[in-house]
Amino acid sequence: MSLFWSVIRQLAEIEAMATSKKVITRDEWEKKLNDVKIRKEDMNKLVMNFLVTEGYVDAAEKFRMESGTEPDIDLATITDRMAVKKAVQSGNVEDAIEKVNDLNPEILDTNPQLFFHLQQQRLIELIRNGKIEEALEFAQEELAPRGEENQSFLEELERTVALLAFEDVKNSPVGDLLDISQRLKTASEVNAAILTSQSHEKDPKLPSLLRMLLWAQNQLDEKAAYPRITDLFTATLEDPTV
Amino acid sequence: MVNDFEGGRQEKDIVGSYFLELWRSKSKKAAVSYAKDVEMVNLDNECEELEEEEEPVPTELDTLNSSGGFSIVLPNKLSVQYPTVNLHGHDVGVVQANCPAPVKRLLYYFEIYVKNAGAKGQIAIGFTTEGFHMRRQPGWEANSFGYHGDDGLLYRGHGKGEAFGPTYSTGDVVGGGINYTSHEFFFTKNGQVVGTVEKDVKGRLYPTIAVHSQYEEVIVNFGKDPFIFDLKAYEATLRAKQQAVIERILIPQAASYGLIRSYLQHYGYEETLNVLDEASQTCIPPITTTTTGVHDNGFNEYGAYALNHRKILRKLIKDGQIDDAFAKLREWYPETVEDDTSAICLMLQCQKFIELVRVGHLEEAVEYGRSHFEKFYKLKEYEDLVKDCAGLLAYEDPKKSGGLGYLVEDSQRENLADAVNAMILSTNPEEANTKRSCLHSYLERLLRQLTACFLEKRLLNGNQGEAFHLPRVLLAKNN
Repeated sequence: MSLFWSVIRQLAEIEAMATSKKVITRDEWEKKLNDVKIRKEDMNKLVMNFLVTEGYVDAAEKFRMESGTEPDIDLATITDRMAVKKAVQSGNVEDAIEKVNDLNPEILDTNPQLFFHLQQQRLIELIRNGKIEEALEFAQEELAPRGEENQSFLEELERTVALLAFEDVKNSPVGDLLDISQRLKTASEVNAAILTSQSHEKDPKLPSLLRMLLWAQNQLDEKAAYPRITDLFTATLEDPTV
Repeated sequence: MVNDFEGGRQEKDIVGSYFLELWRSKSKKAAVSYAKDVEMVNLDNECEELEEEEEPVPTELDTLNSSGGFSIVLPNKLSVQYPTVNLHGHDVGVVQANCPAPVKRLLYYFEIYVKNAGAKGQIAIGFTTEGFHMRRQPGWEANSFGYHGDDGLLYRGHGKGEAFGPTYSTGDVVGGGINYTSHEFFFTKNGQVVGTVEKDVKGRLYPTIAVHSQYEEVIVNFGKDPFIFDLKAYEATLRAKQQAVIERILIPQAASYGLIRSYLQHYGYEETLNVLDEASQTCIPPITTTTTGVHDNGFNEYGAYALNHRKILRKLIKDGQIDDAFAKLREWYPETVEDDTSAICLMLQCQKFIELVRVGHLEEAVEYGRSHFEKFYKLKEYEDLVKDCAGLLAYEDPKKSGGLGYLVEDSQRENLADAVNAMILSTNPEEANTKRSCLHSYLERLLRQLTACFLEKRLLNGNQGEAFHLPRVLLAKNN
């Protein structure tokens, strides 16, 4: 019987050892951090990628001069892309469509959804400006035929024209369409489509890497207690909680 | 690679020796010892730069350690036959690959083509550990796994199989793989995944095949020929799945922008910073975020320290104006260049020499070297670097000077500019308690943390799985 219990106890100990996390002290971890090699040129590329993708063309140009980092895209194309984005953001959708077509007519030809969303935004802007007649005409002539091609387009169209049915639009169930965020959404969709057409990624790499850091830390949490970084702004190491 | 500094001196000059090491990592001496490391590299070596390229991969079947008599490996070492004589039912012919499957990656995979299913079609594909009993089907013994052709069952650890996939026979192509992220095996038949099964063994695993009846013949493909299964697409799907999980993680919207700003501040890229600030102010509405307070977040006060001075010095060094940079440094931060034999002075004077060689003023370079290098020769820790510089004189075109060409590249100037930048940051009285903060930007600290987390996770996982490599992320075009 005593043998039985000692075996049980041993098994429990083994199990505890297997489930208990490895503890890595601050000193040990800092040593590991110092052994990591991150090349300056790679960080420069990461910064350039951010500036280019987010459309900070002047900053990208300056950064090229100050750091000698070459952008992975022709900087001139950023200016055009930003002009389109700005046009949508300030409600000049017609102007934006024209600019996109000047840039590359294939972008809208091959993206029916994007084209629909731009037209929808145009309708929203007409309604916002109180051009009711024009809005109705535009909806029936330009948007309705597209709705026939695609059920979800039709639903969105119906939702949009519903803006006309409310006296107090802002508090209506479709009020969100008039919000600035709707413009931003459309603008970022155009932005992404242009970047894709230039065979460039539509999102900068840095936010992805930051998410990956939080993910990797979560993964490692399961196996070890070590100094984490929770505050991305200050990159401060926190002491491990045991 | 440790400097032979006297303790006190090293303590004092963390910044200088840090950048000296960065230089040294490119030096001729480093290149030579790197080559030696490659030769000596062994399986468990934690040398991250070598790993994926250097990890051995199976290329052929092991002819020495096979189940003598019950399998015949053909001379090309990629085909196995069962002997034509009708042997006993226990006489399994097992063959392992010539080395275990590589582990420092996301996936490993190999395929077999069943040329002849023979009398009973008792062919198996799977994985076994070192010292596996070569007369047993993979899967029959502990720590072995096999997908069997005659019954389509999966065997793991004992003689009774479990329902898994279809049977396979003559003309079929069957594959076996390991997913190091999900800790699973996966098997394929004619290009389709049959199923996955948990990999509950940590040691190294050998790709293994078995033949068990008369006339059976199998040809192995370790990747020399294209696989029938689209491994690349499979890997892309797995990565996309993982990426989708990662993309759902929330980060503060202004974090990226703030980190970029603090990076520009840290390295003294002042003009970029100013233009960026201007752009985000005039842009209506702001591009990166709809919340206000971008400028309060991610903005480290110390980062603005001596920003304009650091920018001017960076520019001078970038343009090769070393004398001017030296003079400004003496004027503005005399304490940083007080000691004429400090690492920073060495770097500045070596760069001055390099610039003279760059523009072809060799006589002047010789003279400069004679009057400035002598004091460094006495200091052992600088010897290799000074030697590299002096060696440039031997070449008509320094760019083509073998292991020394790195000296005349822009990156050498940038390393000096970074060193000077960090030296100035270290004079900030506000930051006196943490010298290290002048070495790394916030961005770099996060990237180091990211890399360390991946390495540690792998270490705790029996060294299996992928590492994080920033250059690979920068090359990828997948979002």
